[in-house]
Amino acid sequence: MAALSEEVLLVVKRVRQRKQDGTLYLMAERIAWGPEGKDRFTVSHLYADIRQKISPDGKAKIQLQLVLHTGESTNFHFSNESTALRDRDAAKDLLQQLLPKFKKRANKELEEKNRMLQEDPVLFQLYKDLVVSQVISAEEFWANRLSLNNVDHSASNNKQEVGISAAFLADIRPQTDGCNGLRYNLTSDIIESIFRTYPAVKQKYAENVPHNLTEKEFWTRFFQSHYFHRDRISTGLQDIFSECAKQDEKGLRSMVVQGVKNPLVDLLSLEDKTLDEGYGSNSMAPSTSSANKTVKENSNSAIIKRFNHHSAMVLAAGAGKKACLTMKCAGPNWGCASETSSTDGNSRDSDFFQPPVKKVKIQEAIEYEDLHMENGKKTVALNLKKSDRYSHGPVPLLPQQYTTSQDIINSVNCIQQEIANYKPCLTQVMSSSTASSAIAALSPGGLLMQAGSQQAINQMVPSDVQGELKHLYTAAGELLRHFWSCFPVNTPFLEEKVVKMKSNLERFQMTKLRPFQEKIQRQYLSTNLTGHLEDMFQMAYNKFHAWQTRQMLRKT
Amino acid sequence: MVMASEDEVSLLVIVVDVNPIWWGQQANREPQFTLSKCLDAVMVMGNSHLVMTRNNKLAIIASHCQESHFLYPFKLWKSGDGHGDDNPSTSGDGKYELLSVANDIMAEEIKILMSRTEVKGNQTDTLLAGSLAKALCCILFIKMLTGQEIKSRILVIKAADDCALQYMNFMNVIFAAQKQSILIDACVLDSDSGLLQQACDITGGLYLMIPQKIALAQYLLWVFLPDSDQRSQLVLPPPVHVDYRAACFCHRNLIEIGYVCSVCLSIFCNFSPICTTCETAFKIPLPQMVKAKKKKLKPST
Repeated sequence: MAALSEEVLLVVKRVRQRKQDGTLYLMAERIAWGPEGKDRFTVSHLYADIRQKISPDGKAKIQLQLVLHTGESTNFHFSNESTALRDRDAAKDLLQQLLPKFKKRANKELEEKNRMLQEDPVLFQLYKDLVVSQVISAEEFWANRLSLNNVDHSASNNKQEVGISAAFLADIRPQTDGCNGLRYNLTSDIIESIFRTYPAVKQKYAENVPHNLTEKEFWTRFFQSHYFHRDRISTGLQDIFSECAKQDEKGLRSMVVQGVKNPLVDLLSLEDKTLDEGYGSNSMAPSTSSANKTVKENSNSAIIKRFNHHSAMVLAAGAGKKACLTMKCAGPNWGCASETSSTDGNSRDSDFFQPPVKKVKIQEAIEYEDLHMENGKKTVALNLKKSDRYSHGPVPLLPQQYTTSQDIINSVNCIQQEIANYKPCLTQVMSSSTASSAIAALSPGGLLMQAGSQQAINQMVPSDVQGELKHLYTAAGELLRHFWSCFPVNTPFLEEKVVKMKSNLERFQMTKLRPFQEKIQRQYLSTNLTGHLEDMFQMAYNKFHAWQTRQMLRKT
Repeated sequence: MVMASEDEVSLLVIVVDVNPIWWGQQANREPQFTLSKCLDAVMVMGNSHLVMTRNNKLAIIASHCQESHFLYPFKLWKSGDGHGDDNPSTSGDGKYELLSVANDIMAEEIKILMSRTEVKGNQTDTLLAGSLAKALCCILFIKMLTGQEIKSRILVIKAADDCALQYMNFMNVIFAAQKQSILIDACVLDSDSGLLQQACDITGGLYLMIPQKIALAQYLLWVFLPDSDQRSQLVLPPPVHVDYRAACFCHRNLIEIGYVCSVCLSIFCNFSPICTTCETAFKIPLPQMVKAKKKKLKPST
C-alpha cells in the first residue's frame, strides 16, 4: 500500500487495466494503479524497473504501455471520453521526466559491476566459479564489494564546473546580413557565460522574459544597448540595461575598497596609476570621479574600467567558492606590478597590518622545513640493565665433549710428533676406489644428493593443474570468508546465513573439489595437492557442528 | 682500466682447522686419516686452484686454538716477490715452480706452528672466528694491492666442534662477508656446525658434511673448486635446511614462538609483566573485576 510519506505527483481517474476500471497514481518513485472503489494498489512498479514506455498514437484506444526490465509489460487504457488524450499525454510527460532519473541509477550499478568484472580477471573468475555455478547468490557476492566502490565513485561523480572563457563576448562576432543588419550568433554556452559573469543581466532576463519580451527581443535589445558597447558615456537612453551599468559601477567600487587580500599573488591594485604619483601615496579615492578629468581621459578610463570589471567578473564567476580576488590590470603602468608590496598603492602596509595570507606566503617562500633546527623531541632513554644478553648466542644443542687434561696433553704431543715428521706426499692422497665412491655419492641420486629431488614440486605438477588449484583456492577462500564472518552468531539473519554458507561449502566440495581430486589421481600425481583445502573445510564443518550442538543445548 | 674476464683475479682463502687436541684424538680414532693427510688434500686443492687460471690467487690460514697463522703466502709478501727465498725452488720432479714453492712454504709453516704449541687446559676451542676475520682482512689487502675488484671466497675445513663463545664475532664476520660479496663455503669433517650453516646460507656459499674423510680431496675438488659463476652450471649438493631459531634471553634455549619486548627487543620464552632487560612495565588489560561491596562497620554503641 502507499506509504504515507509518498508524494503523489499525478492522479488520473478512469484508467482501465485488464478490463477493470480504476485510478492511476504517479508517485515520486513509482507508478501504481488501483481498481475502482478499492484501497489497495493492484499494480505497482518502481520507476527503476521500467525499461520503457510505449504510447502509440492514432489508435482507437488511447493507451500507455510500460515494459519492465524483466520483460513483462503492463497496459493502461485511458477511458475517460473527454480528457483521455490529455490525461495520457500528461502521464506520458511526467514519466518522461522521471524515468531518466531512475534509469541512470539502475544502469550505473550494472555498469559498475560490469566494469569491476572486466578490470579484475581474478574477480571475474571468482564470479564464474561461485555465482554462475550457483554455489552462492549474486547478492552475497556483491554485498561486500559494491559498498567499497560506491564511495569512490560518488566522489568522482561531482561534475567539474566549466570555466568561462574571457573572450566569450568577443567571440560573438557579428556577421553582416547582406542588408544593413548584423547577425549575432548566440549559443547556449555563450548565454550561460553571460549569465554567470553578469548576474545583473541574468536578473533582467528573469524579470523580462517571457513576460514582457521574447528571448530574441531581449538579446536584440542587449546588443543594441550601450551597455554592451564600448563607450558607456551616454546613459541618457532609458534602457533596461542602464540599471546594469549603475550596478556595475557600484560593484567595481566595492572591489576597490576591499583591496587585494594577497598582494604577492599576481596583481597589486585595481587602479592604473603612474609612477610619479609617488610611492605610497594615498590615492585611495577611486578615479571614477570624472570631475577633474578631460573628456578624453574620461573615455579612456571608462574603457579601462570596463575591461577591468569584465575580467574581475569572469574570474569571480569561475573561481566559485574561493574568496580570493586576483585581477589582471591592463593599465599603462604595468611596471608597478613588479614592485614590492611596500610600494603598494593601497598603502596600508605598516608592519602591523600585513594581510595574513601575504605573511604566510612570504614565510613559505623563505623557509624550508627540513632545514629547521631539530626541535629536540622529548625522548625516553633506553635503559638496559643486562645488555650482555645481546652478545651471546644460543646454547649448543648437543653437549660438548669433555676432555680430560691428560687427553689434551696426549693429543698435543701426538700431533707435534706427527707434524714434525710431516712430508707432503701428493701422489698418494687417496686411492681410486675411495675417489670413485665419493663421486658416486655426489652424483645425482647419490647419498648427498637426496634432498634435491624432492624440491621441484612446482615442476612436477602441470601448469593447468596449478591454475585450477589457484582458482579453487580463491573460490574456497571467498566462501570460507563468508562463513567465518558469521561468527559470533548474534542475529537470526546470521543464523540463517551460517546454515546457508555451510550448505554452500558442502556443495562446493561436491561439485568442484571432488572432481579435481579425481582428475589429479587419474594423472598419477602422487602429491597431495588438496590436503590443505580439505583441512580448511573440515575445520569449518567442525565449528558448525559445535555451534549447532550448543544451540540445541540452549534450546532444550 | 679495462676488466676483461680473462684478467679477473679470483682469490681463494682456505681456512684449515688444525686444532691439535681434536686431531690428536683423531689420530687414535682413525689412523688412516690424520692431519698430514688432511694437509695433503688441502695442498692438492690449493694447487688445483692456482693452475686453473694464471690470475688465481691463494691464501691458506691455519686455525689453531691459540692463534691463526698464515700458512701461505707468507714470505712472499714480506719480501715483495718470490725471489728472496732461502730454499731454491727445485723439487726435482719438474713441477710448476709456483706450486712447489707454495707446498714447501706450507709444510714449513705448519711445522713451525705446531712446534710452538703450548698445552693449555682452558684453550681447547678452535679460533675460527678470528681466522675468518683474518681471511677477510687478507682479501681486503689483496683488493688494495691489485687495485681492482676481485672475486673472492673463503673455504673453511672444519674439524672440531663449534664454540658458543664465539657466536657474536662469528655473526659479525658473516655479515661483513655478505656485505663484501664474499662467499663462505664449508666442508665439515665431523659434526654439523650451526654457525657454518648460517654462514653459508647468508653469504651464498655451499655447506657439505662429508661422509668419508679419506676422500676429502675428491670432495674438495668436485664441490668447492668451481667458483660461484660456474656453480650455477653444475649439479651440486642441494642446500641444507638451516635452523634460524632465536634463543630466548632467559635460558638461551632455541624457541620457535616467544615474547618480544617492544622497547629493547629482547626475546623471552615465558611471559612476564616486566622486561628484565630494560625494566619496562607492560600494562595488560585484565578482565573487569567486580568490586566487592565493602560493608560499613556499624559503630558499636
